[in-house]
Amino acid sequence: MEVVLLNQISPDQVIIWSWNFIIFNVTILYTWLVMAILVVGSWLITRNLSSEMNVSRWQHFLEVIISVIRGEISEMTKKGADHYVPLIGTLFLFICVSNVLVIVPGFVAPTSSMTTTAALATCVFIAVPYYGISRNGVFHYVREYFQPTFIFFPFHVMGELSRTLALTVRLFGNIMSHEKVIGILLAVTPFLFPVVMQILGLLIGVIQAYIFAILSMVYIASALSAEDEGHTEVKKEGSPA
Amino acid sequence: MHIDWFVFLAQIFNFLLLMYLLKRFLYGRIIKAMDDREAKIAARFAEADELKAKADEAARLYEKRNQVLNEKKEIMLNEATMAADAKRKELMEKVRVEVDQVKARWQDMLVREQDAFFYDLRQRAAKQLYATARKALSDLADADLEERIVDEFLRRVQALDEEKSIQMRKAISGGGNLVTIQSAFGISASRQTQIEEVLKKQITNGFKIRYLKQPDIVSGIEMRVNGHKIAWSLNEYLETLVESLTETLQKEAHA
Repeated sequence: MEVVLLNQISPDQVIIWSWNFIIFNVTILYTWLVMAILVVGSWLITRNLSSEMNVSRWQHFLEVIISVIRGEISEMTKKGADHYVPLIGTLFLFICVSNVLVIVPGFVAPTSSMTTTAALATCVFIAVPYYGISRNGVFHYVREYFQPTFIFFPFHVMGELSRTLALTVRLFGNIMSHEKVIGILLAVTPFLFPVVMQILGLLIGVIQAYIFAILSMVYIASALSAEDEGHTEVKKEGSPA
Repeated sequence: MHIDWFVFLAQIFNFLLLMYLLKRFLYGRIIKAMDDREAKIAARFAEADELKAKADEAARLYEKRNQVLNEKKEIMLNEATMAADAKRKELMEKVRVEVDQVKARWQDMLVREQDAFFYDLRQRAAKQLYATARKALSDLADADLEERIVDEFLRRVQALDEEKSIQMRKAISGGGNLVTIQSAFGISASRQTQIEEVLKKQITNGFKIRYLKQPDIVSGIEMRVNGHKIAWSLNEYLETLVESLTETLQKEAHA
């Protein structure tokens, strides 16, 4: 039975090339691969877009995805969904494609690297005040941290940090653990059972992508709606496991 | 867990780059295509609504026109019916008048034919009666019927009263002293002398007598003087006979 080493628990540890502090590891490699698939695929499909009634299957496919993303965002923001589609849509597509490609032998999902999930969560952490301030102004955004009294300020800050950490660890933990479970099962059980687990892993991967994107939108929406409609309960919503 | 900060920053940069590229190659284009399509569909719906509104308006207009046409048709039909009735009555009246005229002409013609028939009948009956009477007289009395007629004529002349005689005298003098005696048969010279004597004796002298044979006078003799006449013929009897015969025939026709 093969023992998984601690330094192999993350693709960050598999370094292809390094020079001083500059490191080129498997995480970055597969991230670029996913980026290339998404960008090249989008370019191939959207270079001949049609606004008529008859459109290609791939255009339909992309339109369905974008429509679903827009619909989900619209349910939370009520208006101006297109403004948030690039961030939320890219989070969903990147995480989803990364997780689904696990089915390809040899591919290691970048999202199984905590560095990647932390980077994504940090982007959301920055995006929340960015959209909140751009929508309502600095004063109104900062004032929310002192509601209902100034005593709650540290708790608000802790909440912001903890949910960012939760986003990071949730995605990383789910994907990483799945890969390790598959690896262990391949070593101890016949071939059929790991296949079932692989299918389950695909489902979990898609669900995690959806959860990450939706939670990101919830955080942004809470920053937007706190001033507009007083939905403060959304702002401090707990994160599901 | 270990986090390499270079990789962490690289992943943030990668994500932002991916977001930019997808915004450029995916979201912008797809959303624009969908919005364009929605706009086109909305435009088509708007156009369809506009066309439907126009069609509804046109339908209402045509319905209204149809209603007006129906009303006009009703009015025209009524007028035409009334005109046709009036024309029919006029034509019927005209036909009735024409029928009445034809009927009147027919009745006139019938009356004329009837008159001609009775005239002809009277002529034939008189001739027959004349022949029969003459034969009967000759058979019975052995005397010439014509002589009897002359005798009867003379008897009538002699039976004239004074007033009648004066009228005849004046008529003879007014008519150029010419007396015309017409008969259906020839009068012998002796009888002519006898007539002349009776007239001279009964009426006047100084006149001339002209004898004419006139077959139309049925078995008779008559004297005409300037509008006056003395005559005897079977006509009187025949007329009685014809009247009786006519009455009988008409009764038979109406029966």
